[in-house]
Amino acid sequence: MNMHNRFRFLSISGAILWLSVFGLFPGLLMMGTSFLARHEAHLVDFRFSLEGYRTIIDPAFLKILWNSLYLAAGTTLLCLLAAYPFAYTLARMETRWKKVLLMLVMIPFWTNSLVRTYALVFMLKTRGIVSTILVWLGITAKPVSFMYTEAAVFIGLTYTLLPFMILPLYSAVEKIDGKMIEAARDLGAGSWRTFFHVTLPLTMPGIVAGCMMVFLPALGMFFVPDMLGGGKHLLVGNFIKNQFLVARDWPTGAAAGVVLTLLMLALIYVHGVSKGRLNKAGKKKS
Amino acid sequence: MKKVITLAIALLLALATAGLVRAESSRTVYVYNWTEYIPEGVIDQFTKETGIKVVYATYESNEAMYAKLKVMNSRGFDVIFPSSYFVNKMGKEGMLLPIDKSKLNNFKNMDSRHLNHSFDPGNKYSVPYTWGGTGILANPERVGPMPEKWSDLWDSRFKGTLLLQDDLREVFGMALKKRGYSLNDTNPDHIREAYEDLVALMPSVRTFNSDSPKIPFLNEEVAAGMIWNGEAHVAMGELDTLQFVWPEEGAIFWMDCMCIPAGARNVDEAYAFINFLLRPEVAATMVREWGYATPNMAAIPLLDEATRNDPAIFPPISVMEKSEFQNDIGEAITLYEKYWNKLKANQ
Repeated sequence: MNMHNRFRFLSISGAILWLSVFGLFPGLLMMGTSFLARHEAHLVDFRFSLEGYRTIIDPAFLKILWNSLYLAAGTTLLCLLAAYPFAYTLARMETRWKKVLLMLVMIPFWTNSLVRTYALVFMLKTRGIVSTILVWLGITAKPVSFMYTEAAVFIGLTYTLLPFMILPLYSAVEKIDGKMIEAARDLGAGSWRTFFHVTLPLTMPGIVAGCMMVFLPALGMFFVPDMLGGGKHLLVGNFIKNQFLVARDWPTGAAAGVVLTLLMLALIYVHGVSKGRLNKAGKKKS
Repeated sequence: MKKVITLAIALLLALATAGLVRAESSRTVYVYNWTEYIPEGVIDQFTKETGIKVVYATYESNEAMYAKLKVMNSRGFDVIFPSSYFVNKMGKEGMLLPIDKSKLNNFKNMDSRHLNHSFDPGNKYSVPYTWGGTGILANPERVGPMPEKWSDLWDSRFKGTLLLQDDLREVFGMALKKRGYSLNDTNPDHIREAYEDLVALMPSVRTFNSDSPKIPFLNEEVAAGMIWNGEAHVAMGELDTLQFVWPEEGAIFWMDCMCIPAGARNVDEAYAFINFLLRPEVAATMVREWGYATPNMAAIPLLDEATRNDPAIFPPISVMEKSEFQNDIGEAITLYEKYWNKLKANQ
């Protein structure tokens, strides 16, 4: 084995070991638990049961699942709308400015997202910064609070996840061959037409990747709705936590976890299929 | 490359063995407690006096502590601080070691009124550490006259201004008390009635919070709601328009206790630690710092007049008589949980 091969072997086996111990094994444990029965004093009773799944086929759980999907989808859309123009402009800038702006996108990442959510509380509360500025400008007469509303939840989620959208979009826009756009213009396409027929299809892989990277974590960020939304909306994450800790119904919690995992796998599969199709389409054209 | 890795492994091994050797040569006690629940300096003083090292870990909820000990077969810790109904549950499930009071010469400091509660008859498994209850905190400047009963919170003037604990036992306990039932009720009809009342209350609820319920009060995001008396005590110190009241229907009481898990390895050290916390000076510091009552009779004379007579810290007998401690409710918890999900999902 030469140095290169050994490095490859070490890095790949390291990753496989890591993923098996911290990903696959707990996943299998969860799946196994979901098929057991609840036991009041021993957490689980080691006999096969579908009770966990039967408990979650319930309007309340479906409503919670729907709530989570709605918040995650809304956040993804907001991130896309905010990040696309930004990433587009960024990719067309001078290298010097690009570096500075990319750095500014990354810097908030150095702080824990929980801490950043606390900072948002200071912005949005009744005597917070936003309210004070609005009163000072004379836009509102009395202090206004944005806390504990759905809008606050969207602000929090979008703020936290925006960089995950910007980065893939940026790299997609940067890869566009300027000649394509020039060609479209030469052939008489207006700005809108160029955008929808050339730029948008070419950046589609970036859009899909960005949406995945925002949507999936958004489903799990239960502390944001808890802190900014006032804990009035249960998300799948809260539901799972409550089943394990409060109701001590591990099979039901595990079953909900399995459902969530399957949902995410389905989305990743769709992502893979659409990516494959895009690649194929790209190859045909060239 | 290879040399670097070998060196790193050697270094790690050296550190690990150093750690082992040190752990063996000195006595240690593993303490698992709520966050911010031992006055600063107390642990250092304990180590200085006894030479016993304290390894301190914290939890945010009884549920998290219970799940961890259950999974670890009650091993890993020597002193834990479960609340009333978890003492009950863990005792029943054989997760606690019976307490030998002869090993605790400070046990005599305990006020007998705070011993022998329904959750642990004869204090077989637990030594009381601190106790308190959930009552009503409100800002009369913003919502008019001070509420006096839980049922007052259903008044329409509280629309969009209430804080409820993010804890289903507390919230359902409050609604059950309002109806005159026990907060440990397991009757499905009573639980459903409490749920229906809570549905009617939801338009008034601005936020659920049990991490630090005083913060929304201090930020003036909420104007009334349910809160632990200690939190209320601290909040009133910072914002003097706030007032605390023990509701007429009775409050929800809890008592945090010191227990030794069944699988504890350092039992003698655990007794030494518990005995240390039973000292009057230590108990008095607890009251001063967090505004929760102490069951330690010998600590009362060390407190100043105002603290001793503060009804928000030490609830009067009349309140005690109407109030209840939370008990383990067994399987009924799944019904509470079902209604709780429904309550929140329909928002």
